[in-house]
Amino acid sequence: MSLDLALGTPVREVGETALQARMYRLYAGFFDKAERERRWNPFRDVPWDKVAEDVPEALCYNAETFLCVEAYLPDYASNHLQVVREVFGQTWFAANWAYEESKHSLVLMEYLLRSGRRSQEQVFDLHQRLMGARWQLPFPTPRMMTIYGCFQEQATFVIYCKQEAFAQKCGDEALRTIFRLIARDEIAHARFYEDVIRVHLELDRPGTLRDIAHVAKHFQMPGVGIVPDYDARIAVMRDEGEIDRDVFLQKVYFPVLKYLGVERAELVRVLAEDRRARAALGNAPPLAPPLPALGDPA
Amino acid sequence: MIARDELLVKFRHIASEVAEREVTIPTEGTAIADLGIDSLAMLEIVGAMEREFKVQIPDDQLVGITTVAQLVDLVQRRLPS
Repeated sequence: MSLDLALGTPVREVGETALQARMYRLYAGFFDKAERERRWNPFRDVPWDKVAEDVPEALCYNAETFLCVEAYLPDYASNHLQVVREVFGQTWFAANWAYEESKHSLVLMEYLLRSGRRSQEQVFDLHQRLMGARWQLPFPTPRMMTIYGCFQEQATFVIYCKQEAFAQKCGDEALRTIFRLIARDEIAHARFYEDVIRVHLELDRPGTLRDIAHVAKHFQMPGVGIVPDYDARIAVMRDEGEIDRDVFLQKVYFPVLKYLGVERAELVRVLAEDRRARAALGNAPPLAPPLPALGDPA
Repeated sequence: MIARDELLVKFRHIASEVAEREVTIPTEGTAIADLGIDSLAMLEIVGAMEREFKVQIPDDQLVGITTVAQLVDLVQRRLPS
């Protein structure tokens, strides 16, 4: 089937088929754009001859932190694929997402090795240690995981942009390019998730709003609890990247809500209703234990 | 005109409801984070205050708010004189 046909084929939109058809079209559009505008090669599209020699250790340490988080790709990909496997568009997106994310760890590893800031032994020892833990799904349903993915990709995009600026300040053109390429992928992923959530909002606004409120309230970045020395690593990143609560609100939370067409007041209403419902049940605990929100001071 | 004390009391009530425990405010200068209220909980409090006092606060004005006093000021400035 040609892409044009795929994008244009009229599909009878009834119930489950309608959802499948819309997800398929979203994915077809995402994939087509990615093929046309966003493909890159870790070995050919980074100016490796422009790796700076004297850069602050924090710059490399942050690159290593990203590598740590990206290293759990086997867990992210397998969980992601399983949770959405019944929806074609989302499953194929998950496969494509895994391919793109695989380049992120690859290019970061190449940077650490080519720059001479880490040896092969150090990199593979670290990887071995990382694989001692496993990332688990933070939320139980496909819709919640889509919302989680949206906040997480948007946050990651912002953090990579901050690090791109840091690399530029340090005169490391290679690392600046790497962060730019990765950031571009992350924002494309966030946009796909946003488009999927918009479909969910159309089909079930109250339920989707409840999920958005719940995920936002219990959100934490994927490295928490599994990357060794995570808190110390994030402290270094915050020092250099100026990621704090206000940045989270300004660059992640508000933009996502705006794109989704969701008012802050709607979520407040949902959270209040949830509290009242739990109080009526004798203060039953929320679905997940409260966790610190991204961007809040550690 | 709503008195500042009334705004502070309302803030404390709403914060307690959102945090699902009794919140006490030592001084107006107390940092909201020090009350055990994270950024999203703060947005819930703002939303509830907006509804209570029938005001609307633009998102960009919520950036940089760290203390109880700053938040109460924000609401107070939006009240009809």
